[in-house]
Amino acid sequence: MNEKRVGEMLAAYADGLIDRSEAMKQIDATDEERRRLAVLFQLTERLQQNMQPVQPSADFLRSLGQELVDQARRQIQLSNRLRRAALIGAAAVGSLLSIASVVGAILFVVARLRARAQGRAVHAPTA
Amino acid sequence: MHDESDSELIAQAKEDPEAFGLLYERYVGRIYNYIYYRTGNHQDAEDLTARTFYRALKHLPRYVDRGAPYSAYLYRIAHNAVANWHRDNSRRQIISIDELVMRTLKRKGPASLAQKHEEQALLLQAARRLAPDRQQLLILKFVEQMRNAEIAEVMGRTEGAIKSLYHRTLVALREEVPDMLNGQVEKGTGEDDDE
Repeated sequence: MNEKRVGEMLAAYADGLIDRSEAMKQIDATDEERRRLAVLFQLTERLQQNMQPVQPSADFLRSLGQELVDQARRQIQLSNRLRRAALIGAAAVGSLLSIASVVGAILFVVARLRARAQGRAVHAPTA
Repeated sequence: MHDESDSELIAQAKEDPEAFGLLYERYVGRIYNYIYYRTGNHQDAEDLTARTFYRALKHLPRYVDRGAPYSAYLYRIAHNAVANWHRDNSRRQIISIDELVMRTLKRKGPASLAQKHEEQALLLQAARRLAPDRQQLLILKFVEQMRNAEIAEVMGRTEGAIKSLYHRTLVALREEVPDMLNGQVEKGTGEDDDE
């Protein structure tokens, strides 16, 4: 019996115990295979009997659910506030840059005009 | 019942807090059971379940949906929470409720009931000594009653690998509880009898 076949049979046996009786039929184990794996089948049955779902208390479920929704609300509000602050900051920086560039352009034009006026004064014919 | 897929709920939950509440309702039972069977008591199961969901919520804005089930992500967080819990408690002797119940029943209860509880406690204690991935497999298979394909998806392995892991898990567990099983049959595991 190779390991793959053993794995298939053990998995099918466990499935068979969990309302999937067709699983073991599909495997079609021989009597000899069943005999060899009897101890592991028995262990599977014990696990199935002893590992049943447990139910958390209703109070715990309700209070944790409410706390999480409240926390999620705060988290979203904080994230929206941060996003808005980042947007306002970016807009402010953009505005400052625009103003600075207009001021820069004006200064540049004034400087050019002055330079031109000075040039004319230097090259003007003396009487 | 809400029919939205996990992906839809996750996307909604980034804007709508109620959507995270729906994800919580969908998975809290499974995560609680996983943690309960890993720790063995309800008090720690409640504490670690809460931590798991708070952590998931904290990381929700950065969560990237890669097609894997959201439950796999939650199980991973729960697994880490349980690992930390074991590390923190490693120096202290932990007596689980199962053990306390067993001790009380041994003293007071009817013999048959006490024996049944004792067997359950022994089996679960033995299961808790297995490697974490083996414990997870047993919980998903027997408590959650998942199919092998679903377990494979959650654990990020192939279905064949899950069957093989299950075989090795049973063999390891059998070594832990040799007295519990009737020894009327030869101890065949399928490992040492390749033909």
